[in-house]
Amino acid sequence: MNVIELKQLTKTYRVYQKKEGLLASLGGLFQREYRDVNAVRGIDLTVAKGEFVAFLGPNGAGKTTTLKLLSGVINPTSGTAQVLGYVPWERKNAYRRRFALVMGQKNQLWWDLPANESYRLHQQIYRIEPAEFTRTLDELTGLLGVRELLRQPVRELSLGERMKMELIAALLHSPEVLFLDEPTIGLDVIAQHNVRQFLKQYQLERQTTILLTSHYMKDVAALCERVVVIAHGQIEYDGSLAGILDRFSGHKIVTLAFTENQMPPDLTPFGEILEVLPPKVKLRIDRNVVAEKLASLLSQHSVEDVSVEEPPLEEVIADVFSRATRSKEA
Amino acid sequence: MSEQQPVLVRVFLTFARNSLVREMTFRTNFFIQCVSAISWTLMNLGFYLIIFHHLNRKPLADGSGWQQNEFFVFLATTWIVFSIVQAFFMPNVQEFSELIRTGNLDFVFLKPIDTQFLISFAKVDWSALANFVMGILLLTVGVWRLTTQSNNPLSLNLANVLLYWFYVACGVTILYSLMISLAATSIWLGRNQSLYDFWFYITNFSRYPMEIYARSWGWSLWGLFTFVIPILIVINVPARILARPLRPEGPWLGLPLSGFAILATLVCLVISRRVFSLALQSYRSASS
Repeated sequence: MNVIELKQLTKTYRVYQKKEGLLASLGGLFQREYRDVNAVRGIDLTVAKGEFVAFLGPNGAGKTTTLKLLSGVINPTSGTAQVLGYVPWERKNAYRRRFALVMGQKNQLWWDLPANESYRLHQQIYRIEPAEFTRTLDELTGLLGVRELLRQPVRELSLGERMKMELIAALLHSPEVLFLDEPTIGLDVIAQHNVRQFLKQYQLERQTTILLTSHYMKDVAALCERVVVIAHGQIEYDGSLAGILDRFSGHKIVTLAFTENQMPPDLTPFGEILEVLPPKVKLRIDRNVVAEKLASLLSQHSVEDVSVEEPPLEEVIADVFSRATRSKEA
Repeated sequence: MSEQQPVLVRVFLTFARNSLVREMTFRTNFFIQCVSAISWTLMNLGFYLIIFHHLNRKPLADGSGWQQNEFFVFLATTWIVFSIVQAFFMPNVQEFSELIRTGNLDFVFLKPIDTQFLISFAKVDWSALANFVMGILLLTVGVWRLTTQSNNPLSLNLANVLLYWFYVACGVTILYSLMISLAATSIWLGRNQSLYDFWFYITNFSRYPMEIYARSWGWSLWGLFTFVIPILIVINVPARILARPLRPEGPWLGLPLSGFAILATLVCLVISRRVFSLALQSYRSASS
């Protein structure tokens, strides 16, 4: 069953172009120049129940705009979307009771009050039964290890603790669909790990459908089987994380350790040299000739150790992004 | 999960409670705000005492009947109405403009509850109610003096008192409608700093008996602030019902004006709701 269905979803913003300088600013009072920004350009996407999908893309790619459209925060320019059978921007209460949005850069808890007080408000707005509220809150605070922080004013919490509290606020009403916009942004390594572990476990138990945007590849690798790469408002790739490597990375990284003083002077015929730390060499070799090159290397030289690896995911993704930028400019 | 709608009264009580808890966290700030509000009110009272001293038992406008005690009732009504607006709506409407500018309005759209309700009632400025207490005190003094004066004492019945509070509620509603409409325009303008200034200029006109404007070109002001932006009836109608300064009443001061006040309240409320939802359609959020 598809929980999310997008067809040709498009969002265009009209942005005022401010010129530099005072005179130009004064001119702007009377005559303004606008530019159309195509934040999302005809996205088609379906997500099945219980999927954990990552949205990857450079800044300004349209990830957050898509999440805002799906949450009904903004209206689209054209196209259709259905989430749980509802059109998000109709803002039906029945829909709003069934999903949640967490934005890592914004907070919805009352700043000067303990998180507990904000949760009580949520309980009333979402009409959560007292017994269920207590049970869910207990479960979530236990999982995230923040039970003793419930009575501390939010402004006195660390960033990581506050993010956990925000997550709890979003999950109290047990949403069936969850949109996470960079939930680990700015967190230290340990806090990132904790949030990641929590999301993994929570999703496993509840089978919540989750869309996540993140710039941290570790988030994506740990949580999502399916990855959607967005660049310039369009979907560039939709598939497994491993599939990105197959499709976008044309090479493998081969590390060789030669026997003492046996390192050949010139290795360029075999591939691009990335690093030389005698007796070790790191080479970048085209994916489709790896076996062939490796065979001739091993037959011609005395090699003690070999390893063949995929290039780092971050590199491949960055490459996908820059390729998308180049093709747009062209 | 229950599919029922949230009980708005309970949500509001939680808002009010949370606001009080918050203000109690900053106790000193709370007391300073109360003291400064009351000081302003007392200076206001002193100012009018001086004016009435100069007037020497004459009413505020010739033949209008607004003498010192009647005007105390009027002034008290001003304090009461504006303190309610300050306490319950001003912090929310100011916050609304800020939410639009920063893009934090996003969260408001996510909640399964009426958006206008959520924006209008989320915070309560309890310290502003200090002036409400001052208003009640002054109102009691004014009414007591009017009912006990030897010359033509005022007779008060329950209907008057109930009508008075009904029209206070109408006045608050009109002011709220005006405020939320003004604030909603920030969605189109991006920023609306003149909001507070405009609010102050406009509401200043409501702080005096409408007979003051019943002179030559003053009539145009009277017409504008009665029928176009009905700010004049906010205080005038309830205060007139309680203090009854003019007997017999002029043709537009009695029943027609009271009837019009109800109509104006309804129209203001409907228009503001319309402006609000229209504005929300244009909301474009801000950078993530």
